Amino acid sequence: MKLLEALMTGLTQGAMVALVALGYTMVYGVLKLINFAHSEVFMMGAYIGLFAILGLGGAGNPVIAGVAGTVIAMIGSSLIGITVERVAYRPLRGRGKGALTRITPLVTALGVSVLLQNLAQLLFSARFRPYPQLFTGTLHLPVVGGLSTSRAFILVASIVIMVGLELLVQRTWFGKAMRALSTNEEAARLMGIRTSRVIAMTFALGSSLAAIGAVLFCLDQSQAYPTMGVVIGTRAFVAAVLGGIGNIKGAMLGGLLIGVLGEMVKLTDYSGGVDVLVFVVLIVVLLLRPAGLLGTSRVEKV
Amino acid sequence: MDLTLKNVTKNFGGLRAVGDVSFTVPDRSIYGLIGPNGAGKTTVFNLVTGVYKHDEGSIHLGKTDLRPLKPAEIARAGIARTFQNIRLFGQLTVIENLLVACEIDKKASLLSSVLRTKVHYEDESSMRDRALELLGVFDLAHTAEEPSTSLSYGNQRRLEIARAMMLKPKVLLLDEPAAGMNYGEAEGLKKQIRWLRDTFDLTVVLVEHNMQVVMGVCEEIHVLDHGETIAHGTPDQIRNDPAVLAAYLGEEADGTATLASDADAKAPSAKGDEASAKEPGAKGDEASTKGDEASAKGDEASAKGDEASAKDAKGDERGGKAGEGSS
Amino acid sequence: MAGAQAGSTRPMGSGLLKQIALFGGGLLVALLLDFTLDKAISDSSIRQLLMMAACNILVALSLNVINGMAGQFSIGHAGFLGLGGYSAAVVSANLHEALGGGEATFGKSFIVVPVSLLVAALLSGIAGLFVGLPSLRLKGDYLAIVTLGFSEIFRLVIATAQIGDKETIAHAWSSAGSPRGFVHAISVMITSLGGQNGYAGPKDAGVPLYAGPFWVVGLAFVLGVVAWRLKFSGWGRALRALREDEIAAAAVGVDPTRYKVTSFVISAVGAGIAGGLMAMNRDGTPIVQPDSYNFQASFDAITMVILGGSGSVTGAAIGGVFVTFTVKAIELLQSTSAVQALKQRFESLDLNALRMIIYAAVLIALMIVRPEGLLGERELFQKKAPSPAKAK
Repeated sequence: MKLLEALMTGLTQGAMVALVALGYTMVYGVLKLINFAHSEVFMMGAYIGLFAILGLGGAGNPVIAGVAGTVIAMIGSSLIGITVERVAYRPLRGRGKGALTRITPLVTALGVSVLLQNLAQLLFSARFRPYPQLFTGTLHLPVVGGLSTSRAFILVASIVIMVGLELLVQRTWFGKAMRALSTNEEAARLMGIRTSRVIAMTFALGSSLAAIGAVLFCLDQSQAYPTMGVVIGTRAFVAAVLGGIGNIKGAMLGGLLIGVLGEMVKLTDYSGGVDVLVFVVLIVVLLLRPAGLLGTSRVEKV
Repeated sequence: MDLTLKNVTKNFGGLRAVGDVSFTVPDRSIYGLIGPNGAGKTTVFNLVTGVYKHDEGSIHLGKTDLRPLKPAEIARAGIARTFQNIRLFGQLTVIENLLVACEIDKKASLLSSVLRTKVHYEDESSMRDRALELLGVFDLAHTAEEPSTSLSYGNQRRLEIARAMMLKPKVLLLDEPAAGMNYGEAEGLKKQIRWLRDTFDLTVVLVEHNMQVVMGVCEEIHVLDHGETIAHGTPDQIRNDPAVLAAYLGEEADGTATLASDADAKAPSAKGDEASAKEPGAKGDEASTKGDEASAKGDEASAKGDEASAKDAKGDERGGKAGEGSS
Repeated sequence: MAGAQAGSTRPMGSGLLKQIALFGGGLLVALLLDFTLDKAISDSSIRQLLMMAACNILVALSLNVINGMAGQFSIGHAGFLGLGGYSAAVVSANLHEALGGGEATFGKSFIVVPVSLLVAALLSGIAGLFVGLPSLRLKGDYLAIVTLGFSEIFRLVIATAQIGDKETIAHAWSSAGSPRGFVHAISVMITSLGGQNGYAGPKDAGVPLYAGPFWVVGLAFVLGVVAWRLKFSGWGRALRALREDEIAAAAVGVDPTRYKVTSFVISAVGAGIAGGLMAMNRDGTPIVQPDSYNFQASFDAITMVILGGSGSVTGAAIGGVFVTFTVKAIELLQSTSAVQALKQRFESLDLNALRMIIYAAVLIALMIVRPEGLLGERELFQKKAPSPAKAK
C-alpha cells in the first residue's frame, strides 16, 4: 500500500514537473536555447497566483479565486516570458561570431534567471509565504486508497492540460508553425511564418504552463518562496532532458519519471538525497543517451 | 603512398550516402573526384579523414588501416585537407592558424612551455620560420599577424591550403578549391596544384565542380553519382563517357552540352545521343529540361571564360610566384 | 636561420636568470607583504579584501581556461572550489593536530600549506578529469548542465549527509566489509564534514588559517604567470583553435579529446588551489560551509571571466578584483546607518540581492552590446606582435 501511495504522490508531483518541463522543451525546440530563466518564470507565476487568489477572496471563495487567480498568473507569467525573450534573447538572435555564438545566449539566460530570482527576493522578501488552501478533504478511491482532493485535482488537471497541449501542437496552425520553426527556422521564415511572433507565442505558452504548474504546486505544498524555482525548475529541466529536450511527449514522460523516482527515494534511508539523485540521473542520461529517451540526435554537417 | 578505398559504404539513417565505392589514388598523382551535387564526394573526404566512420569496406593509406584512427591521428598519419566551406580559426591570426598545425611535431612538452625552457623557444622559432616560409609560398607573408577573418575570400582559401601543407602531408585533399574563382584565378590554381605536387612530393585528391580545373590538372578522375561509382578514367575518357554526361546533364542532353567548360573544348555530340538511348523512361521529360538548363549555363560559362581571359595574365603571375617560392 | 628570428619570440637576456628574477622577485614581494601587511594596513577588513581579491584572481584565472580559452561553458566552478576548500580544510586541520596544534605559525605553514594544497589540487584535478570526460560527447548547453550537476551533487551530498548517532570514521571502516557497510562508512565520512553547518576541524576547533599573504599573493602571482604562459604556448593556441573549429582543429592533428580533458583538469587544479587558499586564508573564517559553494559562487566566477573578457588572462584578473570589490562595497554599505534605517522600513531590502540584480543586468547588457567583454581576448601589457621577416 505504501508503495502504491508513493506511486500516486509521485505521479502528481511528476505531472506538475512535466508542466514546467514543457516550457523548457518548447523553447529549446524553437530556439535551441536552454531558457534558464524558465524556473524563475515559474516562481513568479506562483507569487502572482498567490496575490491574485488572496485578492479574490482566497479559501473563502475557492472556485472563482482559484480559476481567476490561475488565469491572472498565466497572463502575468506570459508577459514576463515574452519580456525576457524580447529583452535578453532576441537582440542576440542571428548575430555573433565564432565560438561566442553558442555561449552568449547561455550567459544572458543565466543572467535573467539570477536577475528574476533576486528581484523576487527584493520584492517579496526571502520568507516563506503560506498559500491559501482551496481544497480540503480526502477522496477514497478503490485500489489506491486515500488521496487528498487537491492531489487528485492536480493529477486530473495536469493530464487534461497535456492532452490539450498535444492537440494544440498537432492540430492547430500555431502548432504547425512551431514545429516548422523547430525543424528549420530559415525555411519556416521563407514559407511566410512570422518567426518572431511564433517564438513570442511559444514563450507565452510555455510560461502559462509554468504558471499553472506553479499554482498547482503551491496548492500542494501550501507555500511560496523566492528560491522555489531552483528546486522545481531543476527537476523540470532534468525531466525535459531525460525525455529528450525539444520533444514534447518526452517532457511529459520525463516529468512523470522524475516525480515517481523522487517519491521512491523518499521510501529509502536516503530521503534527503532526492536532488542528488535527480542530478545523477541527469548526468547518466546525458552520457548514455545525450538526446534523451525520445529524442533523436543530429549529425553535424561538415 | 597509395590511398586505397575498397568497397566503402556509408549510410546516414536510411540514406546511402556512399555505396560500395572502390578506387586507388596512386602515389604522387593528381586525382579528381567529381559528380553532381549530393553525389557523396565530400562524404568520401569525411570518411577518409575520419570525421565519419564508414559502415563497410576499408580505407588504407599505404598499409595503414584508417578505420580505427581518430581524425587527429589520420592527420598525423599524413592526410591533410581543406574544407568546402572554409574552416579557419577565426580569432587566430594568419600565422597562428599555421602554427596550430605543427603542434604535432613539437618537441617541447606542456611543462617546458610553462617553464619557458630553451626547447620551448627553439620550437617556437623553428615553427615560425616554417610557417613564414610557407606563407611566403602562398603570397600571404605580409598578412601573417592579421586575424584570419580579415583576409579576402581567395586568400582564405589559400590560407587553408597553406595550413594543410604545414602538416607535411603525404596526401592533400582539396574540397572545391576553385569555388568562387574566376577563369584567371582557376588557371593560377591549376599551376599551384601541380607545383605543390612536384615540390612537396605529395598526392593530391581534388573534389571540384570547375571542369576547367578538373580536366586541366587531374591525371585520373573518379565519378560518383548518388554515392555510387559511375565512371573512372583519364580526363579524356571521362569527358566522353555517356554515363557521366547523363548524370550531369540528364540523358537527353543535346549536342552542345559538354562537361568541359574550356572555351576550346569540342562537344561530343554523338555521345549525347548515346546517353539518351541508354536510359529511356519517365525521367526523360525532367531530364530534358535539366539538359537545356545545363547547356544554357554552359554558354554563359564560356562567355565568362572569354571575359576572364583578360585576367589570365594575373593568374599566371600568381602561379609564377608560387613557383619561385620553391627555389 | 633560426638565430635571426629567435629574437622576435625569445626575450632578451639569459632565460634562466630572467626566470629566477621573475619568480624570485614576485615571491620576495609576497614574503615582505606577509610580515608588513599587518602593520601597513591596520584595518583587518581591508586586508581581508586584498586577500579575497588575490583568491578571486585565481578563481577567475582557472575558470578562464575552460570558459575563455577552451570555449566550453562550465557553470559549476563552485564544485571544484568546494572540493579544494574542503580537502584543504580537512588536511590542514588534521595536519595541524598532528603537529601538536597551537598557533598557526609562518614556519609550520611551509609544511601544512603545500601538503593541503597538493591534496586539494589533486582531488580537484581528478574531479576535473571526470567532469571533463563528458565534454567529449556533449556540447555547449548540455555540458554546462553536467558541470552544474557535478557542483550541485557535491554541495548537496555534503549538506544533506546525516547519520543519526555519532560514529567514528575508524569504527565505521572496521565494519565496512560488505557493500552496505562500505556505503555506510562513506556516509559516516561525509557526515563528519558537518553537513549544512560546515566543517571546522576534527575537534570543531576551527580550520587553522595558515595561508598568509605570502602564500595567497605569492601563488596568485606564480599561477598568473603560469596562466599567461599557458595561453601563449602551443597548447593554448591549439586550445583556442579547437574553440574556433573543432573539426578543422582535428584535421590538422589537434586531438579534441586530449586538449579538452586537459583543459578541464588544469582548470580544476587551479580551482582546487584557489578553494584551498580561501579555506585557509589567514584573514578568512575558520570554517568551510557547503553554501559557500552554491550556484551563486559559480555565477560570480562566470561574471569575473566575462566582465574582464573571455580568454584574456589579465581580463580575468581584473574581473576577479572587480567582483571582490563590489561584494565588499555592498557589505560596507549594508552596515551603514542609512541603509540600516532603510532596512527598518523595508524588511525585504537585501543589498546582496540588489548586487546580484545589478550583476545580472550588466551581464545581459554586456552580452548584447559587447559580448567579448572588457578586453575581449586581448591582454593588457601585451607585447606588440613581432613583425614578420620579409627578407627571404
